[in-house]
Amino acid sequence: MTLYKKAFPAVAKYVSKMGGSFDGAKDIFQDALVIYYEKTVSASIELQTNEQAYVLGIAKHLWAKKFRENVLHTSLDTYRDDIMDEEDMQPSPAKLLHYLETAGQKCMEILKAFYYDNLPVNKITELFGYSGVRSATVQKYKCMEKVRETIKEKNLAYEDFIE
Amino acid sequence: MNEIKLIDDHIFNQGTHEDALLLDALLILNPALSNQIRWQKKAHTIIKQYGRKKLKAEIESVHRKLFHEPIHQSFRLRILRLFRPG
Repeated sequence: MTLYKKAFPAVAKYVSKMGGSFDGAKDIFQDALVIYYEKTVSASIELQTNEQAYVLGIAKHLWAKKFRENVLHTSLDTYRDDIMDEEDMQPSPAKLLHYLETAGQKCMEILKAFYYDNLPVNKITELFGYSGVRSATVQKYKCMEKVRETIKEKNLAYEDFIE
Repeated sequence: MNEIKLIDDHIFNQGTHEDALLLDALLILNPALSNQIRWQKKAHTIIKQYGRKKLKAEIESVHRKLFHEPIHQSFRLRILRLFRPG
């Protein structure tokens, strides 16, 4: 909440100056926060002493990109990485995600902590109540295996279906 | 489990030169392994989407508080004033 309160006014002011709406400012700002978070946890940037300025920089970039492409909802898709560009995805990741959220919420939470939030393993051990670092790591691999198998089954079923 | 780690290291370019050689050798011995790499990459895409979805929900909840709770009224007015016509 602190960062939201500190950084949103500058982004809102910029978007307003550029002729954007409140909702436009909100969308751009929230996407900028996600990008800022991902860059921070992946250690691709040093922790900023002036994080508001950094978030504003990302927001300006997103705004310019949106304006250039004249697309209303460019947002995070422009920040897809190599993994996401790898190949066409069928069935859609959204459908798979929905399935995995329902069928394996706990595993998704553990994998998110490891891979998305990039939390240290001892923190994850504590957070999820594992007996030790080793069992947390074993669980991570078990969950990855489970998710991978689910994706494989769903994809193969889809491929059979469209053939 | 070692296989998952080996593939992770390959996906994120974190393995040693020996790990890369080992993966190459395993791919020759077991061509089906290339499919496992494919599924694991997809798994990472989905984990990232899941993470983003959760983070965006958290951010939206902060936004809702700031723009609906009376305690934040001065902040809210300060922002809304920027978008007032004229």
